[in-house]
Amino acid sequence: MKWLKKSSAVLASLMLASVVAAGCGGNNASDSPAGSAQPDGAASSELKPYEVMMVFPDAPQKDNQLVQDAMNDYLKKTYPELNMTVKLNPIDWGAWSDKTNLMMASGDKMDLLFAADWLGFQQQVTKGGLLPLDDLLAKYGPDIEAVEKDYHEPAKRGGKLYGIHTHQELGGAQGVYLNKELVDKYNFDLTALKSGKVEDLEPMLKTIKENEPGITPLVAPSFPLEAYYSSTNLDSITSIAAINTVGTAPDDYTVINSFTTPRYMELAKLTNKWYKAGYINKDALTPGLDAWKKLQAGKGFAFVSDMDILADMEIGKADISPNGSIKAGREMLQIPLNIDRLQTGKMTATMYAISKSSEDPERAMMLLNLFYKDKDLLTLFNFGIEGKHYVLKDGQIALPEGQTTDSVGYYHDIMWQLGNQMLNYTRVGEDPDKYKNYEKFNEKISSNRSRIFGFVFDPEPVKNELISIDNANKTFVDGLKSGQLDPEEVVPKMLEKQKAAGADKVIAEAQKQLDAWLK
Amino acid sequence: MNQKRTNPIIVVVLTLFSLACLIPFWLVFMISVADENWVTAHGYSFWPGKFSLVAYQYLIEDAEKILRAYGVSALVTVIGVVVSLFVTSAMAYALSRKEFPLRGALSFYILITMLFSGGLLPWYLVYTRFLHVQDTLLALIIPGLIGGFNVIIMRTFFTNSIPPSLIDSSQIDGAGEFRTYFSIILPLSLPVMATIGLFTTVSYWNDWFTSLVFIQNEKLFSLQYLLTKTLMNASFLQTIANKAYSSTAQVTTPLESIRMAMAMIAIGPLVLVFPFLQKYFVRGLTVGAVKG
Repeated sequence: MKWLKKSSAVLASLMLASVVAAGCGGNNASDSPAGSAQPDGAASSELKPYEVMMVFPDAPQKDNQLVQDAMNDYLKKTYPELNMTVKLNPIDWGAWSDKTNLMMASGDKMDLLFAADWLGFQQQVTKGGLLPLDDLLAKYGPDIEAVEKDYHEPAKRGGKLYGIHTHQELGGAQGVYLNKELVDKYNFDLTALKSGKVEDLEPMLKTIKENEPGITPLVAPSFPLEAYYSSTNLDSITSIAAINTVGTAPDDYTVINSFTTPRYMELAKLTNKWYKAGYINKDALTPGLDAWKKLQAGKGFAFVSDMDILADMEIGKADISPNGSIKAGREMLQIPLNIDRLQTGKMTATMYAISKSSEDPERAMMLLNLFYKDKDLLTLFNFGIEGKHYVLKDGQIALPEGQTTDSVGYYHDIMWQLGNQMLNYTRVGEDPDKYKNYEKFNEKISSNRSRIFGFVFDPEPVKNELISIDNANKTFVDGLKSGQLDPEEVVPKMLEKQKAAGADKVIAEAQKQLDAWLK
Repeated sequence: MNQKRTNPIIVVVLTLFSLACLIPFWLVFMISVADENWVTAHGYSFWPGKFSLVAYQYLIEDAEKILRAYGVSALVTVIGVVVSLFVTSAMAYALSRKEFPLRGALSFYILITMLFSGGLLPWYLVYTRFLHVQDTLLALIIPGLIGGFNVIIMRTFFTNSIPPSLIDSSQIDGAGEFRTYFSIILPLSLPVMATIGLFTTVSYWNDWFTSLVFIQNEKLFSLQYLLTKTLMNASFLQTIANKAYSSTAQVTTPLESIRMAMAMIAIGPLVLVFPFLQKYFVRGLTVGAVKG
């Protein structure tokens, strides 16, 4: 019997081992992130070698290693005094939040980290995953300051700066794309859109509907309501809370529910009318539906969305859209109906931050600074190695002979993520003046500031309400924006549900914070 | 066996049920062989107006990545299932023996793992900080090795279908613990092994989340993760394209038919495995219900 016990003990230990493997425990959070690095007076030239880990969302590239090596060679040659190397750590878009949260929570080493409000910037700050950057920026970021000085306010939380905005266009424009072939065929009068009202599109949609069977007059899923309403009419604060900019005095800071403005009702009714008249495709809400593909297949006429940025764009002025034409595979006209104000939200849409787990935040900031001044380094990161991943054709980036975007080994389309975009090359097919256009456009936008530019809402006190409001909206919003629901009947119902979910509290809180900010 | 004719209602219900299973399958297949432009223009259809094998050609050109992912998935599944069956049954067998001293405590331990999980973060920490298996195949294999539920099913099987006197007599005849286990118990437990084997096969084959969490190296991506990733990236890029920023987002969604073709490829092995295990299935699953 003793013998028997011995061998079951063997079995038992085997089991135990597997139980551990099954992973039901784990209290070894003890090796917590290494504390912040020792600032050893970076001004003194004796810097220890350091590898800066960059974490950013992108599909993995085959030649990641090659480009990384090339960047490191370049850094070594050009900036020997910085004594640093870089490690590129792209993370798939879809896996981004799960992975970065895990890395952050477990204190994995990260230095530079892409951050954006739509990727949970606020939560990362709240959790304490990011380092305050004010001092670092003042010390090591002169080239960042040269271009971004005025735009740091929106990324501040509790008075401290947590993200560095990518230098790029400061806003967008929304409007309508039209298939040029059809515009010419019916000789549409485009001056009708001068007023910037999407309503004026209606006669054209009607003509197309009547004469062109099989062509959707207005291709969804980018609906007027969604693509156009808020940026034309509101200074948005958080989910439903906003300031109405239409017909209110410039010093009016009354926070309202964005679903209660007369303009929202007007546009919702319009969408509903167009839907009933058959101008909008019925499958607009099918997940994964891509409007550009419909245009490509020659099955669409108009499309409300964000516009390409052109230097002299004006509301109601029709231009050939360079990017839109590429995407639709045919000539597309674009007519802006709104040009953004300088808004807080846009400034936090693309940023880089420094992770708390960085072992040498100084060096991270030095590297980030380089991306704002060094065209060659930025080009290496954005386009890869010359001759292998791209060739220059008349000053524009082209793929090497016989290569496609799939086969080339390093091709990412994330130029807007990092550094000073104005230093970038454009790709063949793009407007060669793209970045010049940006600069002109920026002048236009920065002179037109939103009333509440720089105000950041702290959602913490009404976190639960915001979630329930989101849930309340879900039932209605899609149906409204696609025109499938009758707004006169549904909007009051939605407002009621929002109220029950705590809308008043959110708006009161927004008003309170805004008033405090104004003082 | 009951010789009476089958109730027609049952036939109808089962037919409908089978159709409900087959129809989506058929739709996916049809989209995978449909012409892309036709699908964009007309939407999904059970019999598309225009056929094209472009999707499959494209996949053949991209074969390296997919084949590698296929290989990873297959390897992980095979190793995982074999090892998992061994450790699960070993544990279950020990727990089924009344002589085993830690029986109560361990059963309780297993029960706890069924009810509560450690959560994502501790899970991640154990594997990356303690076992250091991130970015290796082990990271894909180990997490699925033991499931509390499977252990309990097996234990019930062992307790109910293997008479303790059988074990006694084998040991009187001189068999040791291991001998008893390998030569007597395992051959008698084929039904439950097949059942649990199928469970684990399916879960290993379909697992993508583990890859997401632990695998950075593209060469070690499992097939399902490759698929999920393609879909997630596409939908993500689409949402940010609407986020009213950057005009540079030139979104290229993967072609509809390619996605469907990949789905067709991914189901392959499971469809093949199932019929061979099915005969054990009926017996295996009833075990828990019948008390000896």
